Amino acid sequence: MKRLLCLLFALAAMVSLCACQGNFGSVNLKDPVDIPENGVIDQSTVMQIKNENAIAVFVGTSGDFKYEWTVFAGSIRDAKAVNLGVRLSKTNDGSIRVVLNQTEAFGFSASLAIHLNECWSAQSATAHVGENAVATVSVTGSRHTILNVTLDGTAPEIVIRPDLLPEKVIPTVITTAPLPLQGTDAPAVTKPQAEMPPTATTVTPAPTVTVTKPAVPPTVTKDKYNTDPVPEGKPTPVEPEDQEVDKGSSYTCTFSIECSTILNNLSLLDPEKLEMVPYDGVILAEATVVFYEGESVFDVLQRVCIENKIHTEASWTPMYNSAYVEGIYNLYEFDCGALSGWMYRVNGWYPNYGCSRYQLKDGDVVEWRYTCDMGNDIGGGYAVGG
Amino acid sequence: MQDRFSKYHPLVNFLYFTLVIGFSMVLTHPLAQGISLACAILYAVQAEGKRAVLFTLKWCLPAMLLTAFMNPAFSHEGVTILLYFPTGNPLTLESILYGFSSGVMIATVMLWFVSFSRVITSDKFIYLFGRMIPAISLVLSMTLRFVPKFKAQMNAVADAQKSIGRDISEGSLWHRTKIAVTVLSIMVTWSLENAIETADSMKSRGYGLKGRTAFSIYRFDGRDQMALLYLGFCGFYLLAGVIVSAFGFRYFPSIRYIGLNTVTLSFQFVYLILCIMPVVLNCFEERKWKAIHSKM
Repeated sequence: MKRLLCLLFALAAMVSLCACQGNFGSVNLKDPVDIPENGVIDQSTVMQIKNENAIAVFVGTSGDFKYEWTVFAGSIRDAKAVNLGVRLSKTNDGSIRVVLNQTEAFGFSASLAIHLNECWSAQSATAHVGENAVATVSVTGSRHTILNVTLDGTAPEIVIRPDLLPEKVIPTVITTAPLPLQGTDAPAVTKPQAEMPPTATTVTPAPTVTVTKPAVPPTVTKDKYNTDPVPEGKPTPVEPEDQEVDKGSSYTCTFSIECSTILNNLSLLDPEKLEMVPYDGVILAEATVVFYEGESVFDVLQRVCIENKIHTEASWTPMYNSAYVEGIYNLYEFDCGALSGWMYRVNGWYPNYGCSRYQLKDGDVVEWRYTCDMGNDIGGGYAVGG
Repeated sequence: MQDRFSKYHPLVNFLYFTLVIGFSMVLTHPLAQGISLACAILYAVQAEGKRAVLFTLKWCLPAMLLTAFMNPAFSHEGVTILLYFPTGNPLTLESILYGFSSGVMIATVMLWFVSFSRVITSDKFIYLFGRMIPAISLVLSMTLRFVPKFKAQMNAVADAQKSIGRDISEGSLWHRTKIAVTVLSIMVTWSLENAIETADSMKSRGYGLKGRTAFSIYRFDGRDQMALLYLGFCGFYLLAGVIVSAFGFRYFPSIRYIGLNTVTLSFQFVYLILCIMPVVLNCFEERKWKAIHSKM
C-alpha cells in the first residue's frame, strides 16, 4: 500500500512539473540586463524576446548618466544583433546630447529612459536632429529627471532640449547634489519645483510653478468641494451644473494621453496589465480635437476615447463635484504601485480640482498622464496637495 | 436512492467536501467550474431527489443570475467594449463573462454546502473535532441544532398560548403583534435558560475533560482506507495543478487561458473523478446490493 502511495505521488509530481509553463502565453517581464562594455546585444537575445513575447530592460551607464532601454516583443520587426550602447553628454545650454553606437535601424522601436543627475524645471522636452524637432520627449521622475524618448536607431545623434514653458520662461536647470540612482534609503531631499530657487535669474522671472507659493495666503480657505485656492492667473473651477454647452460654437484643443512613467516602473506594474502598455508609452498621440463652448476636460476625454475606441472608466465623486478617472486603456489607478493613477495637465499646469470642473478654452493643450508617485514623478505633486 | 457515501468514515466525508468546496472556490477555469457544478447537482439530486431540484431552481439559479448581471454594472474593465452605459462607462465582454463565472461559483458552492450539511451531521462533526477543539465543535453543533429546536419550541409555545385564548393567527394587527411579542419574550427566556442547562449538563458529564472518551460507531476499515488514498492522490495532484496554473484562466484585462493539451486535460480529468466520486460510489453499491438481492 505504501509503495503504491509513493508511486502515485511521484507520478503527480512528475506530471505537474511537466505542466510548468508559467503564465498564459501573455506578455512577461524579464529581469533587467546590463548592457555589455561594447554595447552589443546579440541576435539570439533579441530573437528570444520576440519568441517569448517578453518585455526586456537593458541598463547601461555613460559618464554620470544611467540609461535604460525598454524593448517590447510586439515592436520587433527584424530580429538582429544591435548595439544599444549610448554616449550621453550635457551641452552648454543644458540640453542632453545622445549619441548611439548603432548607426543603422535597430529593427524595432524602443523606449530610452535617460536618468539625469539633476532635476529639470522644464516639464516637457523635444528631441532634435540638427535643427529639426523629431520627437516629443516625456519628462518624468520624482527625485531626478528621467527623459523618455522612443528611438529606432535611424538617427544616430539627437539632442534633447527642454521646451520653453508656456509663459515664455526660459527653463532653468536646477543643479542639485547628484542623487544615488539605485539608492534605497535616499529620502526625497527637496520638492524641486516648489522650493528650489532658480539659479540663472539674470533676465527672467521664476518658473511658473513657483507662482503657487506667493499666491496662497497664510490662512488657507478651501471651497465647499475641498479645493485649495487656485493660483493667480489660473482658471477657476466651473461647476458641472453651471456649464452650458453651446453646440453652435466649436473650438479646438490639443489632446494627448500617455503613460511613460509606467515604462520606468514596469516592475511595479500588475503583471496582468503588461500587455496593455504601449511600447512608447503613448496611448493617444497629440491630436487636435474639436470641442464645443462650455465643455469640460472630462466631456472631451469621454468623447475622444469613445471615438478612438479607447477604454475609460470614471466614477462620479460628489465630494469633489467631479468625475474621477479610474482607468484609461485598462490601466487603472493602483495598477503600478499604491501611488499610481491618472492626472491631467492643461497648458503645463496640473489643476488642483476635478476634470469635470475644468472648462476648456480655445487652443488649450490637454495632456492626460499616468503617475506612479502621486504626481511627483510628472511634476504635478502640488495638485494633489502632497 | 440511498446515499452510500455518507456511510463512509467521517474523515473521508469531511476530506471530500473540504477538497471539493475548496477547489470550487479557487478554480476559475470554465471547464473546471462546469465539472464542479454538474457533479454538485448530480449528487444532490441523486441523494435528495425533487427537493434538490427545487432548491437549485429557487435559490441557486437566482443567485447565479443576480451575480452575473450585477458585475458588469459595477465593473467596467476589459478590452472588448460592447456598448456604453449612459454614464459613459463601457459595458465589456470580459466583465459579463467574469460575472457569469462568479455566479456559477456561488451556485456551485451553495449546492455543495447542501450536500455537506446532509452528510456531515453534528455527531460526525463532534466525532472529528471533539478531541481537537471541544468548545468550538460543541458550540457549532449546538448552534446548528438550535435552529430546528427553536422552531419546534416556538410552535409548542404558540399552541399553548392559543389554548388560553391568545391566538396568534386571529384578531387585529395590533392584537396579533401583542401576542407575538409575548411569544417572543417567552422564547428568549427559554433559549437562554436552555443554553445554561445544556452547558451545565455537559459540564456535569465531564465534557472536554482529559481521558474522557466519546461513543462512536465509526470504524475505519479497508474501504475507507482506499477512499482516503484516492482523495489524497486527487487532492495532491490538483494542488500541484493549481500551483503550476494548469487551470489558469484570466478575465481582465483580456481573456487569456491555458490551452487544453494532454497535461492540462489530465488535471481536468482528475478534478472530474474527484467530484463525481460519491455519485459513482452510490451507483456502484446500489448495483452490488441489487445483485446480492436477486441471488437470494
